Amino acid sequence: MSTTDLDNAAAPPAARRFTVPVSLARYGAALRTPRGMIAAGILLALTAIALLAPVIFPQGYDVQSRDRFLGMSTQHLFGTDEYGRDIFVRTVYGLRTDLALVAIAVPVSGVIGSLLGLSGAVWPRFGNLMQRVFDVIIGFPSFILALCVVVVMGVGFASTVVAITILGLPGFGRLARSGALEQQNREYVVAARTLGVSRRRILTRHIVPNTADPLIVHGAIFAVNAVFIESGLGILGLGVQPPQPSLGSLLNVGMRYVREAPTYPVGPILVLLLLALALSMLSDSLNERVNRR
Amino acid sequence: MLRYLVHKIPSVLGVTVVASMVAFALPRLAPGDPAVALVEGDADPATIEALRAEMGLDLPLWEQYLRWVGNLLQGDLGNSYLLNRPVSQLIGARMESTIELTVAATLLMIVVGLVFGILGGSRLTPWARTAVDAWNTFFIAVPAYLVGLLLILFFGIYNRVLPVSGEVAVLDDPNFGLQYLILPALALSLPAAATVSRLVQTSMLTNRGEDFVDLAVSKGVSPRRITTRHVARNSLGTAAVVVGLRIGDLLAGSLLIELIFARNGLGSLAVGAVQQRDYLLVQVLILFAVVIAILAQLASEITLAALDPRIRLG
Repeated sequence: MSTTDLDNAAAPPAARRFTVPVSLARYGAALRTPRGMIAAGILLALTAIALLAPVIFPQGYDVQSRDRFLGMSTQHLFGTDEYGRDIFVRTVYGLRTDLALVAIAVPVSGVIGSLLGLSGAVWPRFGNLMQRVFDVIIGFPSFILALCVVVVMGVGFASTVVAITILGLPGFGRLARSGALEQQNREYVVAARTLGVSRRRILTRHIVPNTADPLIVHGAIFAVNAVFIESGLGILGLGVQPPQPSLGSLLNVGMRYVREAPTYPVGPILVLLLLALALSMLSDSLNERVNRR
Repeated sequence: MLRYLVHKIPSVLGVTVVASMVAFALPRLAPGDPAVALVEGDADPATIEALRAEMGLDLPLWEQYLRWVGNLLQGDLGNSYLLNRPVSQLIGARMESTIELTVAATLLMIVVGLVFGILGGSRLTPWARTAVDAWNTFFIAVPAYLVGLLLILFFGIYNRVLPVSGEVAVLDDPNFGLQYLILPALALSLPAAATVSRLVQTSMLTNRGEDFVDLAVSKGVSPRRITTRHVARNSLGTAAVVVGLRIGDLLAGSLLIELIFARNGLGSLAVGAVQQRDYLLVQVLILFAVVIAILAQLASEITLAALDPRIRLG
């Protein structure tokens, strides 16, 4: 009998009940792959500059001047726009908007979708109904569905969040449902059931933790889509509205003035590509290391 | 096959019906009374009431819905109150542009997708393989509208090689029409082509490990012939399905592409209708898009079954 066993036995049950729901070691390993490291580095840098934007550029994104449509220079990294505002500052604030969108919409969509999927695995009837609902959502081409949301809610940040959330539901829901159904028939779950463990405990202790990994990886994949949905809506002029910048709306205005200022859209495009690249590299490395099949 | 189709009818119909309900519900969920929105300035309640009655807004919801669907099924798509023209006329006028773009993009997608797919599945020098892989990875990751923006910047602004805004009907003037068509069609097709070629490549690499390839090698068949006759040919079934699946995407993607290239297609009609709150038009366009997407998906499943005898639908 080793000391650790005694320690564990002596520990209060409340402390022992806490377990990390997914094995964090594999996430660490994913981040230590070359791709994961680059992705994490880019994302950290982008997040840091976006979070610190009010500190670095306390004057805000709406400072106008007479220097309209300047090209790229050391003073204005990405040039200036139609009101003489610094495009680099606006891009950083736009990145802030996009990151906020991803940080809100992706987890919300993930949690709601997973709950719907899990409930579907527990109550088969509800599950069948949800499958049909997901079929309908998938039947809509993604930007058409986003248009529907804009029709009902009007343009703006909120409707972009809702559009992304709805578009994400089928992916998360189906993954959660199939994962839970697969786990239900595993031997350890059957064993737990035979031992008389309650249904609720089986669900929370065994099934949920073991279906979480693919869902988290899918979240990283879906984050890329979320960024692209935002910028797509922005380009259509149906996303976040001026004067608040987002990467999409910057592209929309930038392409309008591209003849006066040929480098206007270049900065926002680069940042958008960088963000998308980092997110997809992250999802790739997570997919390799965490999603064991 | 017939059994499969019959089996599939409930789900296809179900999705279509629900989509029609969503499309029907949209203007009613949107803030504001459509009748009030149409009246210029202040109008007396009697006028508004009359307009409501004319639009059928005073009927119970289910009756409005049945009427709307009934009219749609009879080919009466209703009137756009803002533009004061029948919706069918508006759609008809814009259809040619969208079809032109989608057909051109589909052709390009097939050609580019197959060329890069077969290249990727062939024996290549390491450098060539890296190039093909990088091409595919980039275009799989990037959405069509970003490719469009990049094409506009490179070929329309920095080097003024091709027109990037507006259109000329190809049938009226093939020379100028194609010049206007080529960039939007490329933008729309390259991302889709990359998914096609990735799949063709994977399927070719799998086929290369099959016994019949080993047999051909041992018979002394030339490597080129093995690639074309034994490997590539067996991978085309996969390609056909993806192509079918992607056509629906292309149509949906044309929404954004039309807008950034300033083409007058259905996509820009839809976006304009949303911006101006022309709900009757929006409804029909949304339903139209969903039905086409569903049909494209169904068609590609059937194509697969027809091409590959190992797959039995049903």
